[in-house]
Amino acid sequence: MRNSWAVCKREFASYFTTPIGYVVVGIFAAISGLAFSASFLFYAKVSVNPAMYAYSSVPDFEETLLSPFLTFCGTLIVFIGPLVTMRLLAEERNRGTMELLLTQPLRDREIIFGKYLAALGMLVVMMAVVAVHLLIVSWYVQVEGAVLVFGLATVFMMSAAFFSLGLFVSSVTSNQVTAGTLTFGLWFILYIVGSFAEDLPEANPAPEAWGETFRNGVGFVYDIFRGFLHQLPIDFHAKEMAKGIVQPEDIAYYVLFAAFFLFLTFRSLESRKWRA
Amino acid sequence: MIEVKGLTKYYGQLAAIEDVSFFVDKGEVLGFLGPNAAGKTTTMRILTGFSPPSRGTAVVAGYDIKSDPIEVKRRVGYLPESVPLYGEMVVSKFLRYVAEVKGVGRGRRMAEVGRVMERCGLLEVSRRVCRNLSKGYRQRVGLAQALIGDPPVLILDEPTVGLDPRQIIEIRQVIKELGQDHTVLLSTHILPEVTMVCERVLIINRGRIVAQDTMANLARGTARTLEEVFIAAVAQDAAEDEGAAPVAAAAGGGSL
Repeated sequence: MRNSWAVCKREFASYFTTPIGYVVVGIFAAISGLAFSASFLFYAKVSVNPAMYAYSSVPDFEETLLSPFLTFCGTLIVFIGPLVTMRLLAEERNRGTMELLLTQPLRDREIIFGKYLAALGMLVVMMAVVAVHLLIVSWYVQVEGAVLVFGLATVFMMSAAFFSLGLFVSSVTSNQVTAGTLTFGLWFILYIVGSFAEDLPEANPAPEAWGETFRNGVGFVYDIFRGFLHQLPIDFHAKEMAKGIVQPEDIAYYVLFAAFFLFLTFRSLESRKWRA
Repeated sequence: MIEVKGLTKYYGQLAAIEDVSFFVDKGEVLGFLGPNAAGKTTTMRILTGFSPPSRGTAVVAGYDIKSDPIEVKRRVGYLPESVPLYGEMVVSKFLRYVAEVKGVGRGRRMAEVGRVMERCGLLEVSRRVCRNLSKGYRQRVGLAQALIGDPPVLILDEPTVGLDPRQIIEIRQVIKELGQDHTVLLSTHILPEVTMVCERVLIINRGRIVAQDTMANLARGTARTLEEVFIAAVAQDAAEDEGAAPVAAAAGGGSL
């Protein structure tokens, strides 16, 4: 654990001794700030004249402004996340420092957790930017505590899960651009597959001519497959949670997602022991 | 201190080293010689736990590299051939990081970093970023990094490559001093360096050990220089491979 901390400190510091940390946080601050201003202005206009925007009364502040904004921030972090995670292991490999890292008395898990923690550190910095907006808001409006806490927790969990995917991709290549592109591509594929699944018919696709037992079997597998695809997109589970409606399966999705890719990263780093 | 038993490493079909066995005593400086691509770096990488052997094993500082890699790494200081450094890090911060990872206690870390920086002549560049260092200073940072925590075994892969003559003399002096209380495995192309620094030499060619003997024996025997011994050993190995023993005899081969 102490070693993970050492790796994490070095990794996190290097985000800010190179331009990448400033670029990522700067871009995030600019975009989230603009988005916040825009949605705040929109909410202001709606609350002055709800009827014009097809609302019967002044709409709920949390539901119309806060939750969508937080979900947006999560998506934005996932969007620029590859920039944070692509360097984690690929860079070590590319500049040869992997040799240094792997000949120090560090266990693979200490390296992986250290790197992951450093990426989460960047996440915390970005969330601190979001927190500035929220502080300003709570100065003027009485914000519901649950929405705030779970909204922030959602952004964190969603991004943290995604960063584990980025870490894994970074562990399989020695080129940062490849790692970044692949991470981004995988996220986009998950996203598109999810919206594609929404169009899949609910009915059993097996033809009537097939025997009943076989048909039921096919239908069962199809249902699982459809449900699986439907739940794949990383922001699918965030929407409800950001409103403060927390389902165990949403939390489980993110925890398992992160655990799965950390496990794969571990295996990928370990593969040097049996690969030539 | 280092006991290598039948190490073999394949890269695909190609055997980088084959059945390499040798022994380094405590407090000995062993010169590890060989032409390019002979398997020196491969052997060193296996001993430091960077890459695993295909067959065979080694015991370093009392621990097996396969079953106790972490214990081995705690006791080995390694200077890789290309001296990879974190370009954006300041020298003293980098060394402090290495000290932390190597398990040097928080209280002793500053003193330890100071000690190795002084030993390797890095005090004047301690605040500089690794990326901007000259080749000579990079090499010294690499050596300093290997010395942190005062490990009993040092594995140095071509420590004087790319240095100017004055720096070479300095580094050799450092290695010589280290040899008094450390076990050192030193690979190099530069034969006079071996004569100056090492007590024993090991010549490896195309993945196999072709000769090993002490410098004292070498000096006592024929009037041959280390160059001649090296070339003879390598030539003999090549000749044996082609099944042409007479050529080896003509080249003046034989045991060292």
